[in-house]
Amino acid sequence: MNFIGLTLGITTLLVIGFGFVWVIRGERYFGYLWWPYVMGSGILLVIVSLLVSGVWVSALLGAFGASLIWGATELKEQAVRAEIGWYPFNARKILPPFAEIIEKRKAPHL
Amino acid sequence: MNLNYVGLVAAVSTFAGVWFGHVAVRRIESISPTIWLPTVVFAVFGLYFEWFSLSTSDILLSVATGILGFTLLWDALEFTRQQNRIKKGHAPANASNPRHARLLRDHADATTLDLLKRDPVGKPVTPAEAVELVTDHSLPITNYS
Repeated sequence: MNFIGLTLGITTLLVIGFGFVWVIRGERYFGYLWWPYVMGSGILLVIVSLLVSGVWVSALLGAFGASLIWGATELKEQAVRAEIGWYPFNARKILPPFAEIIEKRKAPHL
Repeated sequence: MNLNYVGLVAAVSTFAGVWFGHVAVRRIESISPTIWLPTVVFAVFGLYFEWFSLSTSDILLSVATGILGFTLLWDALEFTRQQNRIKKGHAPANASNPRHARLLRDHADATTLDLLKRDPVGKPVTPAEAVELVTDHSLPITNYS
């Protein structure tokens, strides 16, 4: 019996569950325009996961990196949910560097 | 230099699992006459993936199927959660699906509009504005059918 996949599957579920939390909170306090930074951080974590030697460290970096990349594509939709009133709306957001430039680009959504 | 591919396999499996689940649950729930059937099918596939993950000696295969299996098991539960979103109008109902037609009749908030299909405007909107923003000067509303 090889338990690595099963235990990692359960752990990944928790990582994805944490994604729900940070997408909601992150959008509320910082706004969806942070998406390129979140996506970049996710890609960076996946690259780092290739360079570390431990099985678990590498796996967790990869899974968390992937959930950051996915979450980056969810931030825009979460912003719309808050505007509709399905989630609390916070007008005083801490905007990212180069927010004006990011706003002109279409935010990704899958 | 030796690269450790466990993380990359975990990343691709996680992303693919979430993406597939995100799209498949919406589309299947939208057209399926029942939600118990897709729930059972996804649960069976999820359990099969976990069984495979336990029985293979290949660590990369074990990691991939272990992660994909649990996302499939989660998706099985998502069919019920998606139906609840339809009832609340948080996801668009498909009027040509008899089950959704019933939900549209019985739940005042249910709608065929996808209220999320737009860009943010940066301020809270009223329910009427939320509808206008997805119906004015936009493409015809499409359902996943």
